[in-house]
Formats: sequence, structure tokens, C-alpha cells
Amino acid sequence: MLEAVLIVAFGGALLTYLVGRWSAKGRDYFALALWVVILGMTSYLHPGKPRVSTFYPGFLGNDLQLRVTSLSWLFAIIVASISVLVIIYSFRYIKGHEKSNLYYLLLLLVNGGMLGVTLSGDFLSFYVFWEIASWSTFLLISFNQGRALAAGLRYVVMSVIGSGAMLFGMLSLYSSFGTLDLADLSEHLAGAGGEYVLFIFLLFLVSFGIKNAIIPFHTWLPPAHSEAPAPFSAVLSGVLIKMGTYGMLLIFYLVAGAKIFLGLGTGIWSFHSILSGLAAVTIVLPSFVAILQNDAKRMLAWSTVGQAGYIVLGISFGTRLAVAGGIFHFLNHALFKSLLFMSIGAVERKTSTRDLNDLGGLVKRTPVLFIATLVGVAGLIGVPLTNGFFSKWMIYKTLILDGNPLLAFAALIGTWGTILYSYKLIHNVFFGQLPEKYRKVTRSSFSTYAPMVILAVAIIFFGIFPGFVLGEVSHVTTTLGFPPLDVELWGLSSDTGMVNTLNLLAAFVIVAAVVWFVFKSGAESPKVAQDDSYTAGAPVPEGKFTYTADFYGPLERVISPYLKDRIDIFYGGLIDFTEFLSDTVRRMYTGYVGTYVAYILALLAVVLLVQLGWSPW
Amino acid sequence: MDRRQLVKWLKEPLKMSNKYSLHVVYFCTGCGIIEIPPSITARWDAERFGVKPVATPRQANLFLITGYVSLKTLKPIIRTYEQMPEPKYTVALGSCPIDGGMYWDSYNTINHLDKYIPIDGYIAGCMPRPEAIFTGITHLWTLIDEGKADGYERYRERYQEYRSNQERLYGQLEWPPLYTGRDDDV
Amino acid sequence: MVAMKVAGLVFSPIIAVLTGLLLTGASRKMVARVEWRYGPPLLQPFIDMVKLFFQRAPSHGEVFDYGLVISLSGSIVLLLFLPIGHLCPLGGGGGLLVIIYLMLIPPLGIATSGGEGANPYISIGVSRKLMLGLGYEVTLILVLLSVMSEYNTISILKVVQAQSESGWSLFSWPLVIPGIAYLLIMPAILGVKPFDVASAPQEISSGSHAEYGGKYLAFVTVGGGLSEFIGVALFVNLFLGGPSLPGAFTLPAGALGVFLGVILFLVKVAFVFSLNVMVSALFPRLRVEGAVKYLWGWPALIGLIGTIVVWAL
Repeated sequence: MLEAVLIVAFGGALLTYLVGRWSAKGRDYFALALWVVILGMTSYLHPGKPRVSTFYPGFLGNDLQLRVTSLSWLFAIIVASISVLVIIYSFRYIKGHEKSNLYYLLLLLVNGGMLGVTLSGDFLSFYVFWEIASWSTFLLISFNQGRALAAGLRYVVMSVIGSGAMLFGMLSLYSSFGTLDLADLSEHLAGAGGEYVLFIFLLFLVSFGIKNAIIPFHTWLPPAHSEAPAPFSAVLSGVLIKMGTYGMLLIFYLVAGAKIFLGLGTGIWSFHSILSGLAAVTIVLPSFVAILQNDAKRMLAWSTVGQAGYIVLGISFGTRLAVAGGIFHFLNHALFKSLLFMSIGAVERKTSTRDLNDLGGLVKRTPVLFIATLVGVAGLIGVPLTNGFFSKWMIYKTLILDGNPLLAFAALIGTWGTILYSYKLIHNVFFGQLPEKYRKVTRSSFSTYAPMVILAVAIIFFGIFPGFVLGEVSHVTTTLGFPPLDVELWGLSSDTGMVNTLNLLAAFVIVAAVVWFVFKSGAESPKVAQDDSYTAGAPVPEGKFTYTADFYGPLERVISPYLKDRIDIFYGGLIDFTEFLSDTVRRMYTGYVGTYVAYILALLAVVLLVQLGWSPW
Repeated sequence: MDRRQLVKWLKEPLKMSNKYSLHVVYFCTGCGIIEIPPSITARWDAERFGVKPVATPRQANLFLITGYVSLKTLKPIIRTYEQMPEPKYTVALGSCPIDGGMYWDSYNTINHLDKYIPIDGYIAGCMPRPEAIFTGITHLWTLIDEGKADGYERYRERYQEYRSNQERLYGQLEWPPLYTGRDDDV
Repeated sequence: MVAMKVAGLVFSPIIAVLTGLLLTGASRKMVARVEWRYGPPLLQPFIDMVKLFFQRAPSHGEVFDYGLVISLSGSIVLLLFLPIGHLCPLGGGGGLLVIIYLMLIPPLGIATSGGEGANPYISIGVSRKLMLGLGYEVTLILVLLSVMSEYNTISILKVVQAQSESGWSLFSWPLVIPGIAYLLIMPAILGVKPFDVASAPQEISSGSHAEYGGKYLAFVTVGGGLSEFIGVALFVNLFLGGPSLPGAFTLPAGALGVFLGVILFLVKVAFVFSLNVMVSALFPRLRVEGAVKYLWGWPALIGLIGTIVVWAL
């Protein structure tokens, strides 16, 4: 069964390409049917206990294995669900593009690769699937050519560094313990010395940190997310970078175990505290950088960096609630960020711009899109009764009660940054006066709306019934070595203050009903057009009566000097230095025979002198 | 609050609250504005009558037109008046809005403001002192009590006439008619 | 116990709405007296509400209506989580973290509603409100975190409980430091004079309220009164012991005690609120940059010191 999933995924990808040569519509539906089948198969895999199957025995003395645990099943099911929705969304988005066949092939390869990563039972197959996903990702990021090529190049350089680090770590593990099987490794690593474990952790952290965009490794993400085709941005942000999260959970908790991970060093200089600190920085800075962006997708990309920080913070803080909250937040982020990228993609397709200074007033033309985006943004902020609230609540609570108010401060202030850029996004796209040039914008097609509506419903649903997911998350944290959570359908109960969405929901519904009733019983209000607005008596000037450019101007002037991406500048400097060095070396090759003869003579002279007893050092 | 007032409040809360909560939007076209700051600050303190300046016509129910009205400023006056929510009252301050005052023979002074929007009351004077403004306000209370401050109803009933007067001055106006003459206006 | 819950569910919103409006009226009166004026009647806001409620104000669309309703509902739901004296119907669920998040809903509701108003003044007002929010929230979060770490709980009920046993936080070491920080930012939380950039009537035509008239204005005024009440009530709960008396005095048990507790609580709220009104009557309006720089200066530093001291002890 395990192999069958991957065979369907990869075989299906190639078949889709072939079908596409014959009919575009057939290809679309074939790809959809394929991944609906995969989604079904994956959900059928739901593990009572871990199951393992060997698909290639005896490679380098290792069996290549697939295995499914609670952890990998959770990630696999998210990959499969988001893939299905993205494929539906792609129908319209990529329709008529000259390379749409290639697009589908690559998209399905990425999705299959991610599925493979989550289902791998040893590091070698993990690596293979990881690389399949990474390289297809590169091609998809650069799909639009032009600026996208540079973005893709950035991604591929960082990705190769990450893969190299992982390969190095794997080789080291293999040479030390002679196995790459995850279950075996965890037994061996329990007996290893602290320094060796730290060495392995650092190597894997580079790899997974690059994928998950923790702050010194985040520079590839903003250009990549903003230049990729919109449906693929949804995949990138929703699930692909979460492969880094999965890898971290794998190496820190499944392979090494919570005890080793949390016991590495003491106090604030322990490994996991430093990682938490990095995660806190990753929350705060990108949330504020996002405020400064004027490109909708780039803003969302920075937002992704920040939200990934919450996930890493949860995982690295390492208490029961924190890890559960981190995993839950991963899931929530997959939902709302895919939704937001899809909606911005739809806006871009309709208006052919994603410049926030140029848009406005679309709520009057595309109300469904607006409501879906509003729900997504609410989830992103974590407004109560959306899913983001609950996961963030878990993380905050454990940060406050089990240790570090400063980390909690970082997490909470990051949320305020989120509010600011979220409102800017919503306001500049949907609110204000509808400009003349967008009066003719039509509603999007069903296949564009459907995935967004499904995601929006899921966001609300999981916000009201967090117990559905938390039960699963509790299984996962149990396998990671934590005591189970007291999950109820409506929330969590524990002795130090529980949260119950039923109270909130009931209170909100009743209060809103009363308020609405009172509101309606007031004097009736006639509807007016958008240009019947307060202008001190003057008629509304055509096309100029909006406030979008420089939306947070005063704040930007205060904070922007502190928010230069110094890490990016540093990397740029590194590249310049390398180029300078190479250039210097190149100058040795003058192409003139005499110079080379001189080099040879000089070398001979030095060798002779050394032979004669001269010691220059 | 004496007993008669309390009975009135219970009988006609709408009328009473309209009387004692006059939120004002000023249209400062001339020297009339000079009399406004003393009337709302420490010396005369209009706020003790519930009279309070507000920022936009949407929040106001009393429109004070202070000073002479020219061809150019009449248009914003109409616009502002139409944007105020009903019930709304208009008071013109000084002799200029009554008949043009000392500018009566200028080429662009509006001599009869009430041809273009309904006026509930005039306060004569050049300029009227704050005491006169307060007398005007208390007189407006009486008018509201007796149901005579019905300018907004007149505007609705005879909108075609007002609109044609306005369009005679300006030709086509930039905004659509406020009332279309159908039943759903009321 | 059940009777108490039901009483809380019914009465705490009513008490808060009435107190909020009364405080608005009182602040107008107090400012008038500071300026040597007679001032409006104390019940002027209620008169205004009755008038506004029956005015035919225009609507800009569905989002314009729903956003406002959501905003006011958010305020009222928040009140159910906030202890008013001994009344706190939903206090057990989620504690201060839920309160922090519920405090977001009213401004975001107004922002959403105003967005469809399609007026640049509204946009400017909302943008200023959010920037100011970012400014004071830095300190507010630090203060709340210090309190939560000191009492090692996230439940506001337990914080109030602990103070009735061990004395008011404002007069105890080390919580006096965050208490001072909270006092320094309170005018910004209430949005009164030095920090009323978001609703400056002379400058940006009252910002996000520019297109509201009639019942819309009535609703935002009630919402504004509530948010002022909430900002002060949070301080009273966290630092002035909620309904408890200072020192060895205790309230009698039973219904009388509950009643006296609520009264005492409201007296404290009125006292702290009047401090802010005095500040607002004296100072001119700051610009956004100035406000943000002030809020990120001394108050945030004091808040940070408080958090670190609490953490270290």
C-alpha cells in the first residue's frame, strides 16, 4: 500500500504529461483524479501503529524503507489535501499557457516528492525524495522566466548548500553507525556523545533551516514566493517549506529523542534555547519587514517567514503544549497561507497587477473573494474562532508558564506586526474607492473559487472544533515522547486554565444576534453609492480619492532604518568577495606563453632552493 | 429636570433628544465664523445646551451657514446638506444668507438661499453676537417642539423644484438626485 | 453559582455600557470644568444616543453594517471574560490571552466596516489607529506578561483572587514597575487627548468615524465607551485588586457583597479614568511619529525592566 501511493504519484505525474500532449482538459481532470485517489489512499494509511515496508532491499547494505507513523501521516495528509486544492485552482490559472504540460509535470513531481519525504523510513530514501522535490521546485519557481530566474537561482544555491549539509550529516551517521534506518539510528544516537549529537544537529539544522527559512537562511524565500506562479506559491508556502519542519521534528524528536534534544547544554545557552531565540527573531523581524512591502505576494512571503518562526519556536521550545502548538500551527498555516496566495493570484489574474498601491475597491466586484481573503487573514492574525487563534494560544501559554516571558513577548508582538500588514493587504486590495479601470472586473470561475471556499470553511471549522485536529496532534506528540493532551472537541482542558471555543462561540453568536437585532430596530438606512462620501462638499475626484500609497508612512519612517536585511547584504558581500577572488586568480592566466614559462621557472627555483636547505618559514 | 420635562421625555423622546442634542456642522463662508469660537468656548459655552461641533455632515443634525453664499460655495452647501442624515435642521446666520446683505448686488452672490435648500430659521445681524445665536437655538427648540422645523420634509416633498433651481444655476450637477420621486424614498 | 453566572451574563454588559456612556459624559463635563466652562449635562451621551438611534443615516453596503455589528459584539463578548467586581460569567476560559485577542476584534471590525465606506479619511484613521496600537501594545504585552509570570497563571480571575489575599499589585514589589508602565500608556489605550490621532476631528474629520451617522455613530460611540471602560477595568483588575478593599478590610459575603464589590470596582474605574481625563485636558495632540516614539521610549523601557525583574526574581 505504501509503495502503491508513491507509484501512483510518480507514475501518474509522467502519465499526466503524456495525457497533456493529447488533451489539455483531459490532463487537468486526470491530474485531479490522480490526487483525489492519492488523498484517499493516504487517509486509508492512517496508522494505528507504525507500519513499515521495504521497497528496495540491500542498497549499500541498507534496506530502502517506507514507513508511516502518526507524524508522517499528518504531514502526508496535508500535502495530499493541499495538492488536490492547488490542482483544482490551477485549472483556470495555467489555462492556455504554452508550457502548461511542463507545469503539471513539475507540480505533481513536487507533490509526489513531498509525499515521499514524509513516508520515507530511512535517510537515503528521504534524501532522494527531498532532491526530487527541490529540483522540481527550482524549475517551477523559474517558470515565469525573467526575474523569476534570479529568484530560482537564489533558491537553488541555498538549496544545494542545504542538501550538501544533509548529505554530509548522513554520511557521518552512516560511517559512525553503519545504518541509515530511522528506527535503528535512534537507538544508536541515544548512546552517542553530546558533541557528536550537536555536530549532527547543526548539519541537519542548516538543511532544514534553509527549507523552513529560519532567519540567517531565509533570504531565498521572499523572491521565490513572489515570483513563482500563484498556485505554486500556495504549495511552496503551505507545505513545501514545512518539509523543513517535518525534518526537524524527525531528527530532533524521533531520531534523537526529546531527552537528548532538550538536554544538549544548559540554561539559556542550550541548543534548544538558542534555536528558540532564533525562532523569536524569525517571528519579529519578518513580520515588521512585511509591513514595508508594496507587492502583495512579497508581503505574504515575508509573512510566511514570520509564521514559520512560530512553528519552529513551538518545536524548539520543547514542552508538550509548545510542540503540539507548533504542529497545529503548521497545519493552520498550510490552510490560511495557501488560501491567501490563491486569492492574491486570482486578483492578479483579474487586474494583472499585484502592486498594493495600484489596487482598491474590489470588494464591490468580487465579494466571495473578499470574504475568503478576510477569513484567511483572520486565521493569520489568530482572531478567536479561527484556527490560528488556538495554535498561537497554546504556544503563548506554554511560553508564559514554563519559562520565558521574553519569547512570549516576541511571539505576541509578531502578532501585532501581522495585524498591520494583514489590514494593509485587505484594505489596499479590497477597500476604498473602486477605480475606473477595475469597474469591469468580473467574478472568477468556479474552479478558482472552490478551493478558496473549502479552505475558508476549514479555517472556521478547525477554529470552532479544534478538537478534531488536536486529537491527531496529541497522537503525534505522544509518539514524540510527551504525555497526551487532554483534548476535547471544543478545546483543551488542563489544570492551569483551559480554553473552550464553545463558550466563545455561544457568547459571540448570542451577543451578535442581540446586537444585530438592536441595530436593525433603529431607523432604516438608505443605501448610497461609493462616491456619495464626505469630501467637505466637493465632488469626489475621479480615481484619486483613495489612501493606499504609503499606508503606514509615519511608522515606516520610524522603523525602516532598523529593518534592512543585513543578512542578505552579507550574503551579497560574500558573493562579491568570491567573485573578486576568482577574478584575481583568473588574472594569472594571461594567455601568453612567456608568463607560464616564468611561473614554471619560479616554481622550479623555489623547489631547488628548498632542496638546498633554505627554509622560508 | 422638572416634572413637565420628564413627562415630555417619556412622551416624545425623539423630539426631545433632537432638541437637546444639536450636533453642528458649520459652513464658514464669511465673517460669521468669527462669532463661533467664542460661542463654543469658555465665555459662552454652547456645549451646556448640548450643541457641539462635529467633524462631518454625516454626524450632524444642525447646519449653520455663517455668512454670505456665493455661486461657488453654494454647491458644497447643497452637497453637505444632502449628506446629513434626517431629521436635520438648517439655520442661516447673519444678514448675508437672508438677502445677500452688503454684497446683494454682486454678480455672484446668492441672494435667496432658501430657493436652493430649505432654511428652518434665520438669525439676523451683521454679525449676530453669540447671545443672538443662543436665542436662535432656543427658538429652534420651540420650532422643533411645535413641529415647524420641517425643512427636510419640505426638501423631500418639493425636491424637483429645489433641484431644478439648483440646475438652473449650474447646469448638470455632478451627483445624482437624492430623491427619485418613488415611494421608497420616505 | 449558576445564579451568579446568569446575573453576570445579563448585567455585566449592561453595567459596562451604562458606565462607558456615563464616563464619556463625565469626561466631557470634567474637561469643560478644566476649561472654565459649565459643560454639558452628565447624561448628554444618552440624549445623543437616543437622537442618533432614530436618524436615517446612509449605509455603504453590507460590510459597512456587519463590520460594525461584529465590532460591538466583540467588545461585549470581551466584557464577559473580564471580571467586573465579582461578576465574571466566562472568566475561566482562556484568561488574559483570550482577552488580548478579543481586544483586537473591535478595532478590526471598525476597520473592516470603514473600509467599505470608501473615504480616505477613514483609511487614514484606521492606519493611525493600528500604528498607535502597535506603539502601546509593546508595553501592554510586557506588562501583561509580567503580571502573568509573577502570579504564574494566565487566568485573570486568579490574579484578582491573589490580590485580595496578598494586597494590591500596584503597591507590591516588583509589580509596581509594570503598574507604572501601564499608567504611562493608558491614555494611548483609551485613545484620549495626547494620543487621539486616530480620531482627530479637526485634522482628519474624526478618522474612521467620518462616514458614520445616525445609528452607526451611536454604535461606535457605545463601542468607544466600552473600549475606554475595558482599558481602565483591565488596569483595575490587574493592579488595583478588582473589587477588593485595601489592607485587612473585607467585603461581606452574599448578594450584598457582590453588589458592594461591583460598586467599589466602578468607583475605582471612575477614579483611574478621571486621572486620564485630566491628562487629556492638559496636553495637545501628538503626531503619529511622536506618539510611537514616546510609547517605544520610557514606557516600553520600564515595562521591559519590569518583565526582567519579575523573571529574574
